[in-house]
Formats: sequence, C-alpha cells, structure tokens
Amino acid sequence: MSRYVSFRDFDWLLLMFVLLICGLGVMEIRSATEHTKFAGAHIKQVYWIGGGIAGMFLLSLVNYQLLLDRVQWMYIIAVGSLTTVLVFGQKYLGARRWVKMPGGLHFQPSEWVKLILILAVAKYFADLQNRELTWPDFFKAGAIVAVPMLMVLAQPDLGTALTYLPIALMGLFLGGVRLKQALAVVLMAGLMMPIAWFKVLKPYQRERLTSFMNPDADSQGSGYQVNQSLIAVGSGGIWGSTEGSQTHLSFLPVPQTDFIFAAFAEEHGFVGALGLMLLYFVLLMRLTQNAQTAPDRAGVMVVMGVVAVLSFHILVNVGMVVGFMPVTGIPLPLMSYGGSSVLFMFLALGMVMNVRMRRFVN
Amino acid sequence: MTPNQSRNSKTSRVSYVAVILLLWCAAICARLVYLQIFSYGTFALKARHQQQRTEAVSAQRGVIYDRAGHELAMSVSVDSVFAIPSEIHDLPVTTALLARITKADPRELFSRCNASPNFCWIARKGDAGIADRVRALHLRGVYFQKEPKRFYPKGELGAQVLGYVGMDDAGLGGIEHQYDEKLHGVDGRVIVSVDARRRWFGSVEKQPSPGENVVLTIDEKVQYIAEHELDAAMRETHAETGTIVVENPHTGEILALANRPTFNPNLSREVAPQSLKNHAVSDVYEPGSTFKLVTIAAALEEKLTRPDEVFDCQMGSIVINGMRIRDHKAYGLLPVTKILANSSDVGAIKIALRLGEDRFYKYIRAFGFGQPTGIELPGETRGLAKPVSRWSKVSIGAIAMGQEIGITPIQLAGLVSTIANDGVWVAPRIVAATTEPQTTPRTVVFHPAAERRVLSTMTAAEVKQMMQDVVLEGTGRKAILEGYSSAGKTGTAQKVDPATRAYSRTKYVASFAGFAPINNPAITVAVILDSPAGLHQGGQVSAPVFQRVSQQVLEYLHVAHDVDLPQNRQVLMTRRETKQDDLAENSPDHLGASLEVAEDASPTPVAAPVNLAHQTAGATMGSDLPGLGVTPASLRQSTAAPGPILQPSSSLPSPPTHAALASDGGATVVLDAGGGGILVPSFIGKSLRQAIETAEGSGLDLEAAGNGLAQGQQPPPGSHVPAGSKVMVHFGR
Repeated sequence: MSRYVSFRDFDWLLLMFVLLICGLGVMEIRSATEHTKFAGAHIKQVYWIGGGIAGMFLLSLVNYQLLLDRVQWMYIIAVGSLTTVLVFGQKYLGARRWVKMPGGLHFQPSEWVKLILILAVAKYFADLQNRELTWPDFFKAGAIVAVPMLMVLAQPDLGTALTYLPIALMGLFLGGVRLKQALAVVLMAGLMMPIAWFKVLKPYQRERLTSFMNPDADSQGSGYQVNQSLIAVGSGGIWGSTEGSQTHLSFLPVPQTDFIFAAFAEEHGFVGALGLMLLYFVLLMRLTQNAQTAPDRAGVMVVMGVVAVLSFHILVNVGMVVGFMPVTGIPLPLMSYGGSSVLFMFLALGMVMNVRMRRFVN
Repeated sequence: MTPNQSRNSKTSRVSYVAVILLLWCAAICARLVYLQIFSYGTFALKARHQQQRTEAVSAQRGVIYDRAGHELAMSVSVDSVFAIPSEIHDLPVTTALLARITKADPRELFSRCNASPNFCWIARKGDAGIADRVRALHLRGVYFQKEPKRFYPKGELGAQVLGYVGMDDAGLGGIEHQYDEKLHGVDGRVIVSVDARRRWFGSVEKQPSPGENVVLTIDEKVQYIAEHELDAAMRETHAETGTIVVENPHTGEILALANRPTFNPNLSREVAPQSLKNHAVSDVYEPGSTFKLVTIAAALEEKLTRPDEVFDCQMGSIVINGMRIRDHKAYGLLPVTKILANSSDVGAIKIALRLGEDRFYKYIRAFGFGQPTGIELPGETRGLAKPVSRWSKVSIGAIAMGQEIGITPIQLAGLVSTIANDGVWVAPRIVAATTEPQTTPRTVVFHPAAERRVLSTMTAAEVKQMMQDVVLEGTGRKAILEGYSSAGKTGTAQKVDPATRAYSRTKYVASFAGFAPINNPAITVAVILDSPAGLHQGGQVSAPVFQRVSQQVLEYLHVAHDVDLPQNRQVLMTRRETKQDDLAENSPDHLGASLEVAEDASPTPVAAPVNLAHQTAGATMGSDLPGLGVTPASLRQSTAAPGPILQPSSSLPSPPTHAALASDGGATVVLDAGGGGILVPSFIGKSLRQAIETAEGSGLDLEAAGNGLAQGQQPPPGSHVPAGSKVMVHFGR
C-alpha cells in the first residue's frame, strides 16, 4: 500500500492560522510575564513552538496507518507510564504528575496519553467497520478511555482526566452510537454523578467546581480566580485597557498559562477577544473539513479525535475565563505557556496533516 | 447499509459536531459581549477599586501674617511615624523600643498595634528628634510620612486671635477657624496603583493647591506691648482674666488684642479650655461707669444739656420710681464735665432721665451695643441690650451708670473709638486681606468696614474734652502720658455673684478705655481686668495699664508728641531711641518694651527656632515694616496718616531687595523671588509622593511624567527660578 506523499498537500493554510494564534500567544506571554520572575518565558515558548513544528512535520511523514497498526503496543506503553508516575512520580503541589527523566527533564505522560488514546479509539472504531454498535463494542470503547482516565484521576489531575472524555464521546458519536445507547450513557452519568460528587471528589475540588457560579460569594477564597478573571475580561471593554491592568498588577492568577485568554481579553478588549475566538473557530472548521476529506474511516476518526480534544480545551478554558465553567486547570491550546501542551498540540496537528496528505490515493 | 450511505451518515455526524462547536463559540461570544460591553463599567470600577488607593496629599496651609508681613502662623513639614504591624516580626519588642522613644505607654502602644495590623500611628507630628531616632533604629515595618505641622513662631503671641490647628489640619479657634477654608487650600490626591501583593506604583492625579495667606491688622510689636503689659498687670493685680484691645479709631483696625490667661498654640494638645477663650469678643460683662459716656454723649447730641450745665447730685442719693440708688461718693452741685470726671452715678441718672428711655436706647444701639461688631473672629457675642419694652421702672437709672447691660470689650473699644473718630462708629476689623498663596503681596489694601455717624463732630469734640478732664482731673489720673495728651473713662463694675444673684462686694470688673492723643487720636486702648485682688477700681488698676501700653505704642508708631516732655524725661527718651536701634539688631521682641523692663529678665515668649532672617537683615526696627505694609484704602480726611505704621516715613531705609525667605527645615513660606529666586532642589531618585512634597516645600510647581522614581528634571538642581515656576520631573522604573 504505497502512496504518493507530497508537502504540496500539506495544509499550509491551517498552519498559518495555527502560527497566527501561537504568535498572539507569545506576545501575550511576553506582556504578562514582563517584570515578573517568569520574564523571558515567551522566548522559551518560541523554542517549544519551533520544536513542535519540527515534530509535526516528522509525524506527518509517518503513515498513520502504520501508527494505527501498532497502537495496541503504544497503548500498553501509555498505561505503563501512567503506572510509573503513580508509583515513582515526583510529588508536586500534592499531585504526582511528572516523572523525572535523565538530563533534568520532567516528563508528564498524561499529555502524550491523549495522543495515543486518539489513535486507539480511531483504530477501534475503524476496525468495527460499519456494523451497528453493539453493547459489548460500546463498553469496550468506553474501557479503552476509562482505564487511563481513572489512572490520571488518581494522580489526582481532574483537568487532564476530563480531556480524555471528549475522545471517547467523539469516537462513540462518529462510531455510530444509537440513540438508545446514548440515552443509557446519559442515564448512567446521571446516576454516577452524585456518587462521584460525594465519594470521589475532594472538598476543595467540589468547591472549585461550583465557585464559578457565584464568584462573589467568596471573592478572596475559592472564587478569587474566577472573580479576578471576570474583572480582567470585563475591564477590557471594547478596545482593551492599557493602564493599570489586572494582568500587570498580578491580580490575575497565572496569566501566562490557564488565564492567558483573560489577559488577552483585557489588553485587547472585545475586538481582540472576538478576533481570537474567530481564529480558533476557523481552525476547528478547517480541521473538520479535513476530516470530511479523509481517505478512510480511521482517518476521519483520527482527525475528529484531534478536533474533540482541541475544541474541548478551547471551550472549557475560555468558558472558565468568562465564568461559564469551573476552574479546572486546562490550558488554552497554542496560546498558553508550557512545553507539554505546545508539543502535544503540534503532534496532534501532525497527525491531521498526516491524514490530509494521504487523502487522494484511495 | 451501503458504504456510501454510511459515509454520508458519518459526514453528517461530523457536520453535527461543527454545529455544536458553532453554538458553543456563539455562546462564549455572547458572554464576551455581556462582560466587555454591557458590564464594562462595573468591572472597570471593580478593577480600579482593587488596583488603586487614593492618598490625600495635604495642601500647604496658608500663612498668617501680621500687618508688617511677619509670620504669626506657618506650616512646616514634619515626619510622622507609623507602623504596619503585620510586617513586624517581634511586635512586643518593637513597640517597647518605640514607646521608649515616643515616651508612650508600651502596653497601650502594643495593644493599639495589635488591634490594627494594617496601619497604626506611632508618633504624629512630633519633634524632628523622634522621627530621627526611630529612623536610626531601621526597624522593619515602621515607616515615615511627611505631614504638615502648624508652627507659631512667636509662641503665645496673639494665641486667641490666631487659634490653633488640630491633628488633622483643621483650624480650631481664632483666625485658624474663621478662615479655615481659605487657609487650608484644597488637598491633592495621589492615586497609587497597588498590585495583588500590595506593592505600590505611584501615579499622580491632582496636585494640592495651597491655601491663601491671611494678613491681619494686628501689629506684632503692638501686640507684644499689650501682652507684656497685660502680663505685668495680671501679676500685680491677680485678676482672674484680662483683656486689652488696641484699635485704630479711624479705620477700625485692631492693632492688638491680648487675653490672659493664654496658651501656646504650638502645644495645642495641652491647652486648658478656659485659656482658649477670646475674652475681647466673647465675654459679656456689665461695663459700669464707662457706659456713662453713652448717657452723656447722647444727651449732648440731643442738645438736652451742655458740658457746663450744673446738676444737683443730691449728696449721693437718688430715688427713682421708689428705689433709692446710692452714689459711690457724695457729691453736691456738679457740672456735666465733672459728673463724668468724678463718675457720679446720681448725675448720670439725672441726665438719663432727661434723655428718656427711647432716645437712650436709640444711642445704645447706635454705638453698637447689643449687636455683634462683625469682627472676623469666631465666638463673638452681641452682648445684652434689652429693648425698652423689657425695661423695668428703674432700668433707665441702672443702664445710665452701666448696669443691666452687657457689653464685650471690643464693643467698649468701639464706643471710645467713635468719640475719638469725631462721632463716626467704624466696625472693628482684624483681617486686612487674604492673599494668593505663595506670593508676596507688596501692599495689601485694607477696606474699612461699615461706618455710621453717631455723634456730630461738635458733640464728639465736647465729649473728648470731657474725657481728657477725666484723665487730667478725675478718676483717670493714672492714665496721664508723657509727651502725649490722653483721654479716657474709668469703670468699676460690681460683678453679679452667680450664687446670690446679687452684686458681689468683692468681685469687680476694673476697666479703662481711652485714646491718645486728643487731637487726631492714633490709638484707642481698652483695658479690662476681671476680679483683681486688692485694689479694684478702674482708675487705680486699669488706667496705669492704659498708660503703659499707650505710651509705648505711640512712641513705637512714631506719633509726634503734642505735650512738652519734662526736661529730665527728654534725655531719657533720646537714650531710649538709641537703645531701640541696638535692640533691633538682635532681639526684636524687646522693641516695644520700656527701657526699664527691656534689660531685666522679664519672661519673653520663648523664641521658637524659626529663621527670622529678614529681621536681622533690616538695619532698624522700621526697615522691616514696609515689607508688607497695610495701607488703608480710605483714610478719613480729618486724620493725617496714623504715623509710620501705615505709611513708612521716607527717612526709613527702603526695604532691601526681595529676599527669598527660606525657612528652616522642610518649611515652606517662600515670600518672594524677585531677585535670587528659589534654589531648585534635586528630585532625582525620589518617589512621586516625595517629589510633590519637595516641590511644595520649595514653592515650585511640579509637572510629573511617567511612573516610578524620578530620573531627570528640568531645570536642573541648583538653578534659580522664580517662585511658582514649573519643574518638569521625569519618572521611570
């Protein structure tokens, strides 16, 4: 099964949008970290982006079919690394998320697991061909995602664990889930919810999940971040505010990572925030279009898996900033400062490119 | 299901996903519209609220000058010490250290600091020494802030007139209270940006605009003479309270207004309430015999009698409406002149009866009794002058000799001044003008206030003559001056004992009110001593005070002698002149004091360490007078200019070229900048707040640009510029 592959088929337009967003991100990181101990973070971010682009090109060259054929091994490695983290991981801020690697690097496997999950779910549903989704299929698909998800939840890293969920949901939806099954999922989730709420979640997590609904109730405590974020966004006005800002006076928590959208919205106002949302939307639509032109069912599933993770990140992060969603520590893709996040996004895009470049040969 | 169908169903499911994403994005955008457009105001306000602290910058309080431009009250910047207890690690030890320096109770200080972890004053507006000693300790969490402190260079001089200023820069009493709004100016604001860790970044909003200056009609030297002599009189007579008013009878300018007991406004926290009282305007007392001036002047004006008409004083006893009134001495037949000179009660009553109630009351009001004079001092009372309808059958008799009526010392001075001023009553004034802040008025114009004719010139002249007779032949012989003619009237009023509601046999108010010289009087002096021990008659107790004050004031004012001096005194006077020249060089406060007193160690007001450079610069006493001369806008035609006080005689050296009056320390009063100008200080490295204070202290106008610490300035430090010049200071981080 040899195919003619050319970078002429590479989605340059998509890359342009991606780099535009990354550029805005770098600018905002620079502005937000100026005069803080994180000063210079934007330079590091540029290096990560450079590395990400390289990784993206490399990944696009390896035929995704080959990757899909070996996905079960990758899956085993993923679960293994998560186990390693749980056993040997570095405890940082009360959670084990990182493994110390030789050379002083810290490795956070939960990011890469996402990538492998996308492939694993794609492979699973692609192999089902077009037959109707049976209950065993349904549960097997659920289990593929649920195992690593529970392991991440045990770290505990609620935010990252939640990002695995859209992969499963997207797979089920495109894999042909029937209405009956969907209803069953919803019903089960409804039943599980109170148990999870009171048994699994710790009080501080519960507080974090509810405080966004009424941030003023405890504006110096649990509602502090949401409150400061809303003030930052709101005081940006239409054209943005320049003097005396939430970002520069350190009222906004972590403005270079989770709350970078708030910092951006404050500095560039409604016009800037709307423009940024538009860029993200165009990006998602472009990805969706790539999915529709994918050569096979597995390709559609891979691309849409990426769409699922990316859109979940964007919408949950921005939703958090504007007070729609609880504060979960999910970064804004392509903009937030952080190596793992940037590299994951570019590798995910690499897989999309991978699929796209092989769309014509069938 | 064919592959094609399934393909279609897959792509349609992908489209569903796209639609869901679109809706989600739309929801977020709608939320952005709500947050950034509709709620912008609320959030911007919240942001400002938490990011900015507004700090008031006290405006420079205006200076109170005497008529010659001497500062009587001024503001200096001093360091106040405060703590932020939450930053202090070992609070008990720190507060114990601070308490030792500030001489506070360590336990009280500790509990105060413990109770307010964010801010706690340690020492406000204390001595410079306290702040320096605290600074030397380099304590963590202890900070300094410049605050204006009111400073009275002359100490107790004119304390009740000036009043004092409370901790929060509010005028409490006297001119400080009456002109508080003008003196205070408008506080500026500094809006400070605060970050989440409460670190500060400065940025200015509004600079303070300094308060106006107030120029009083008071003459520092005359005031000193009056207070010095009042002190002496208080020592001699052991009176409970005492008041001296010195007034220019033609213009109503109050030259001196002295009260005892007194206080030091620099130590306003230790002031006893009773010493704050300005008796001259807020005391109501029964005048006694001085009020006979009203009775007799009214009768003369109404042509009901003549100075030489003889009344039968009925050997000291008269019955009116069934009530017998006894005179202090039994007189037989007396002309009106002698009735006043000997202060016969019976004579005065007979004259009043001829006058009748209504006409008498008309003159009482015309002379200003029963109504406030409108002098620019707080707490003035109008006195008690009942309308005729509330008079009893014997009231006319009582009032004729100064009972059943309540007057203030300032009203008494007004009565005598009216006679001295040829029958025209002029409202007394103590404020000459207010002037723009931080400028040097060369001359301020004084506008005499309301005036009205009460007596004809003829009548006034007759009463003057009769008052001279009081001094020459009557009860006021101790008021005879050397080299000057004088006139006056004594008063000795029994006080009403509040316990028995009857006239006391031991408590008197001894008063003397007069003017000098007879022709074209330069000053009116009223002396009131309340409850002197031992001798208690106005002629014995108060007239000598009048004599001593008038003698010195007239000579100080260079009023020409109108009576020949005795030969031996002439020699003495020349010696005194030379003596004054010597004194002017180094101790101006002794200028007005008599020769005898000047040398002994009489308690002079403790000269506070203010730099009175301009005084030593002036070669003679007179030379610093023109510095800020007060010129009456309309001198009455009948009067020559009242001596050198208003128009410096040409023989005096003209004032030296404008000299910038640099006051000591971080002070404040920059009077002039014509010649040398102001030395521009260095702003480099200062915070905005410090820069504003520095600029304010130097009399410069700061124009700030940027945030952070001062990095450059134009003009450069060390250059000279006119007062009020702009200094551009560039701030940066």
